[in-house]
Amino acid sequence: MAVNAAEAAPQNAAFSTTKWSRAWQNHAPGYLFLLPWLIGFIGLTVGPMITSLYLSFTDFDLLTPAQWIGTANYERMFTNDRNFAAAMRVTFTFVLFSVPLKLAFALAIAMLLNRGMKGLPLYRALFYLPSLLGASVAIAILWRQIFAGDGLVNQFLSIFGIVGPSWISNPNYSLWTLIILSIWQFGSPMIIFLAGLRQIPQDMYEAASLDGAGKWRQFWKITLPLLTPVVFFNAIIQTINAFQSFTPAFIISNGTGSPINSTLFYALYLYNEAFSFFRMGYASALAWFLLFLIACFTAFSFLTSKYWVHYDD
Amino acid sequence: MTTDAHKLTVVTGAENDPSARMRKRIVSVLAHTALISASILMLYPLLWLLAASFKPDNQIFNTGIWPTADWDIDAYFRGWNAMRVSFGVFFMNSFVIAILSIVGNLIACSMAAYAFARLEFKFKNFWFAMMMMTLMLPGQVTIIPQYVLFRDLGWINTILPLVVPKFLAVDAFFIFLMVQFFRGIPRELDEAAMMDGAGPWRIYWKIMLPLSVPVLVTAAIFTFIWTWDDFFGPLIFLNRMQDYTVTLGLRTFVDSTGESDFGGLFAMSVLSIVPIFVFFLIFQRFLIEGIATTGMKR
Repeated sequence: MAVNAAEAAPQNAAFSTTKWSRAWQNHAPGYLFLLPWLIGFIGLTVGPMITSLYLSFTDFDLLTPAQWIGTANYERMFTNDRNFAAAMRVTFTFVLFSVPLKLAFALAIAMLLNRGMKGLPLYRALFYLPSLLGASVAIAILWRQIFAGDGLVNQFLSIFGIVGPSWISNPNYSLWTLIILSIWQFGSPMIIFLAGLRQIPQDMYEAASLDGAGKWRQFWKITLPLLTPVVFFNAIIQTINAFQSFTPAFIISNGTGSPINSTLFYALYLYNEAFSFFRMGYASALAWFLLFLIACFTAFSFLTSKYWVHYDD
Repeated sequence: MTTDAHKLTVVTGAENDPSARMRKRIVSVLAHTALISASILMLYPLLWLLAASFKPDNQIFNTGIWPTADWDIDAYFRGWNAMRVSFGVFFMNSFVIAILSIVGNLIACSMAAYAFARLEFKFKNFWFAMMMMTLMLPGQVTIIPQYVLFRDLGWINTILPLVVPKFLAVDAFFIFLMVQFFRGIPRELDEAAMMDGAGPWRIYWKIMLPLSVPVLVTAAIFTFIWTWDDFFGPLIFLNRMQDYTVTLGLRTFVDSTGESDFGGLFAMSVLSIVPIFVFFLIFQRFLIEGIATTGMKR
């Protein structure tokens, strides 16, 4: 037995080194190129995700060790936190109005531009510019002035004898100024729509008009169905972004979500809980609930997509 | 064939019919009018901001966007030195962070993209799926533990938390963008190089990267714009004024003196978007093609 093992060992070793060296040659370059991403993925994404899931069941103020408190954070969210309810209301209102309106504008302008207009590159660039600048602090500062009591909007309204309110500091309107800011940035979905419109074969329209279909019918029967994959893509991207909107609300409300919580976006509330009040455990629970909301929305979109998204195959 | 003949008659018919041509022209004029008014409406706030930055404070809110007699650039000097730390420092900090981020993203994302697009290794599809999932992950889920990690490393109030993650390819969007581009490069080129005895590193360095300049430029521009605009990251990791980026400087300006010196605030706001605007003017085509092909975020 001992002899057998001794005889077999070198063979096994030789066999396994070649096997290992072959495996090394086949897989190592891939993993070496992937290494920076892998380190980041594990160290900055997976690790923190697990930690934040754990923290969401604790009381943690950054200075003393986290205390396990079970599901108390989640219970507080749903039963005993008016600000959370306000943040949910504000964020859902924002998503529900800003995303569809932004996409409608983007599609309308894209269709106008797709008529083979002269000066298309210039128009496209002009409409895209706000998208590029919109997320910056400078634009949020500008918005504060435009919708202030003596701002641009009220000056315009005064031409018609209308005395407008101070839109920013009135809780009935403040969220709408942010929705308008979001719609103003319709440029990037517009460009994606333009790319999609160009994929629709021109002879389909020609065939339809031979059959006597008017423009309106062509839009509902050809353009929109063939464009649904692009609509689907734009809607998902824009909704996920809208759920996480932060900078404009922070600048316009001085970081408070005022007046009367009317601009308390979810991401802003989470930031304040974590980095102003150092309730890191509670903020982690908020973050995981946000992930849950986004995951539900995405899953729902994909599940229902087969009923309304048209894939040609 | 018959449909082609039909089409031909329909098209020529429309062109010969003067009323149809007239109608077409009217529609085109209407469309241009709509587009021009829409662009003026959209760009007016930006023009107003630019005009306001050149006006004395008492004229900002009651004149239009047209130049008046006493236009000057005083506000730019006032704003530049309005706070304890000058805006020159903020601009320098923002540039350093943006440039290091570009370097990090280009190296790390192109390496990962090359692995996904060209190399074969175990669990490749699994890792690719994971990479795509991180695209949809809200940053709020990871930011708190990341903050604790960077604090324990002693990195708070340095630019490291803003720059090091870029060298670890956390911006998966760029990996995806580059994978799409690399897949379009003919495989025969790699195979020919492999026949000549080139390994993966040489192929990556000598073939893929030189052929991928357009996508690298697109990634660099977007990285610049996103890091230049970034507010959340600097807000969390930078607390000392001498480390502030332009976005943090502007925010502090609003809080402290902004209510009394609108001219200075607007002047600095204009300066803060000038680099983005310049990139937009020069690289407009790259930006628009980058969005159109991948559906980039903004």
